Amino acid sequence: MTTRAEFLGSIRREMDKTRGLFEARSASRPADAGGAFEAVRRQMAERWPQALECFREEFERVAGVFHRVARLDEVPGVILRIAEERQAKTVLSWHPEALGLDLRGSLGPEGLSVTVAPDGDPDAATRQRHRDEAARAEIGVTGVDWALAETGTLVLVSGRGRPRSTSLLPATHVAVFDRERLLESLEQVGIMLEALHTDPARSMSGAVINFITGPSRTADIELTLTRGVHGPKEVHAIFVEGR
Amino acid sequence: MSDRQLKTPFPERAHAALGDAHLQEALTIATTKFIDLRKEAFADFPAGEALRDRARAIKEATLQGLDKHLERLADNIERLGGHVHWAATGDEARDIILRLCRDKGVRMAVKSKSMATEEIELNEALEAAGVKPIETDLGEYIIQLAHEKPSHIIAPAIHKTKGQVAELFSKELGGRFAADPEVLTAVARKELRQKFLEADMGITGANFAVAETGTIVLVTNEGNGRMVTSLPRIHVAVMGMEKVIPTMTDLMVFLAILARSATGQKLSSYTTLVRGPRQPGETEGPEELHLILMDNGRTRQIAGTLREALYCLRCGACLNVCPVYRQIGGHAYGYTYPGPIGILLTAMLKGTGSVKDLAHASSLCGACKDVCPVRIDIPRMLVELREHIDSEKIAPWGERVVFGLARRAMSSPGLWRLGAKLGRIAQRPFVRSGRLRGLPLLFGKWTRTRDLPPVAARTFSERWKELERP
Repeated sequence: MTTRAEFLGSIRREMDKTRGLFEARSASRPADAGGAFEAVRRQMAERWPQALECFREEFERVAGVFHRVARLDEVPGVILRIAEERQAKTVLSWHPEALGLDLRGSLGPEGLSVTVAPDGDPDAATRQRHRDEAARAEIGVTGVDWALAETGTLVLVSGRGRPRSTSLLPATHVAVFDRERLLESLEQVGIMLEALHTDPARSMSGAVINFITGPSRTADIELTLTRGVHGPKEVHAIFVEGR
Repeated sequence: MSDRQLKTPFPERAHAALGDAHLQEALTIATTKFIDLRKEAFADFPAGEALRDRARAIKEATLQGLDKHLERLADNIERLGGHVHWAATGDEARDIILRLCRDKGVRMAVKSKSMATEEIELNEALEAAGVKPIETDLGEYIIQLAHEKPSHIIAPAIHKTKGQVAELFSKELGGRFAADPEVLTAVARKELRQKFLEADMGITGANFAVAETGTIVLVTNEGNGRMVTSLPRIHVAVMGMEKVIPTMTDLMVFLAILARSATGQKLSSYTTLVRGPRQPGETEGPEELHLILMDNGRTRQIAGTLREALYCLRCGACLNVCPVYRQIGGHAYGYTYPGPIGILLTAMLKGTGSVKDLAHASSLCGACKDVCPVRIDIPRMLVELREHIDSEKIAPWGERVVFGLARRAMSSPGLWRLGAKLGRIAQRPFVRSGRLRGLPLLFGKWTRTRDLPPVAARTFSERWKELERP
């Protein structure tokens, strides 16, 4: 078996042989990740309305369905309509702490079965139970860490109470976000990610960050665009105007 | 590619592809569509050209500090609870995975699309060891059921019609399915969903790995990459060592141009950043994460003629525009990586001897270089490969003799003039209606499908002398 030292040693030997390479630098990063993060937040506090318009346009271009409500307590009504139109009965949601909304009280009485993700450090049995429920659920409801206007992308960071499969296994994904989540460009996302990884105060706990740009799709058979091959067939984004 | 197929010489493989009317149609439709989608994506994106320059600079800068970046990546992955394996060869990479399967009692592995695992022919090795590999990218799933190989880096089954896929699914999965992409996709969804939930191991490649954060990046449209990294208890990623990039800021530059170059999308449906196995507090994710860093011939090229090929993002754009690929398709190349970049990668992985024919399967028109998101100078490297094939005496002797004579003649004005005179006489029997046709012997191949202008009665310098006379 090759060891790390052997592997890197042979690379170094070859690197020593290279001559006259052109000068190249990788992308220049923000010197102060935390400061750059706050600067983006300040910019977006001003510019979010334009970003929202752009997000909507791009999101719809990738077959996303955009909804807009005035207040958070109108969100369950939108989810209920989506469920009714699809004759869906089972809803899976992030933990209320992570979503900012407990759907059990509002959707339960309407005849929907609502499962919320476990909080805390779930044991093996709890994890298995949640996985079985996720595999059965028809609608998955998540929050959003960043809504990227340039490409109509939802960025979701996994973690406590925020399982990665909520936006993956159910055939319909519904994401809820507000103005504070909006970003304009991939470059800004880069700044946020630098801060997320370097600043202990903003450090992430989960293992996965997903950039979601529309529903699951394929064109592998005769280049015919088909949606919902493995992941969701539909993605809905609900924008909440107020708090 | 099986040995049987490689025993057929390249010209015959290419000839067979040219005679396959169905393949010709599929290739034309697919490559034309990809070209248009890419063109539109960049037309709408004024920042694109500058980003391509930046991306190229990042790749070069990373190579200049490759050892450092790989160490950093490995340290960070281990810090997050993952395991890093170092594989000098493809055999070693395979052995590492087989040992993991044995030690962890793995019976079934789901795979997302990965050229690195194609490169090491992992599926065959897994099957031989009693582990069932299941390809989950729809295109890869189709060709796995058909026992074929991918014919395009990002659209592995473009050579199949929906009718053929319906027939294949009906036979292999039991049932009667309509030749409708919607129906067939739904069939695959149902079939594969169960496999994702049952599999013990998920195997992926890696589009990038960010050294500073220990992040493995997967780009997919179907979501199978997410399934494979979320549901099985073990995740194994196989990565060519040149895929490491320094930072998240660098990653954003690549994301902005990768999907545009490949499919014309601004971003693919899913970009998944994986940082270690399941972390404390998480409900899901694998218990174990293994990253296999693979050399397999790459290190040799750090100071070699193919260095620039180490920039490649595997987007497939150079295939679509290549006049040769568009005629013969991926299978005729005979190796894992087809198209212009594939010739270079084959030379890198299998040695120059393996591309003695393929190195000539290019018109050197430069279209590949024009569309490459990191502007890899593929034509230059192809010429250098040809030079190497000649100087190392890998080329057939007939070819070497003819080109040797041509070189002598071209470097001596006297010989050249003499050659032109002899040519004028020798060509007489073969000039018909002012064109050279049906040349004999070795030269016959040249005129089999085209003609040539004959050697002129007087050379340019002879005519020039006449003109100079008062």
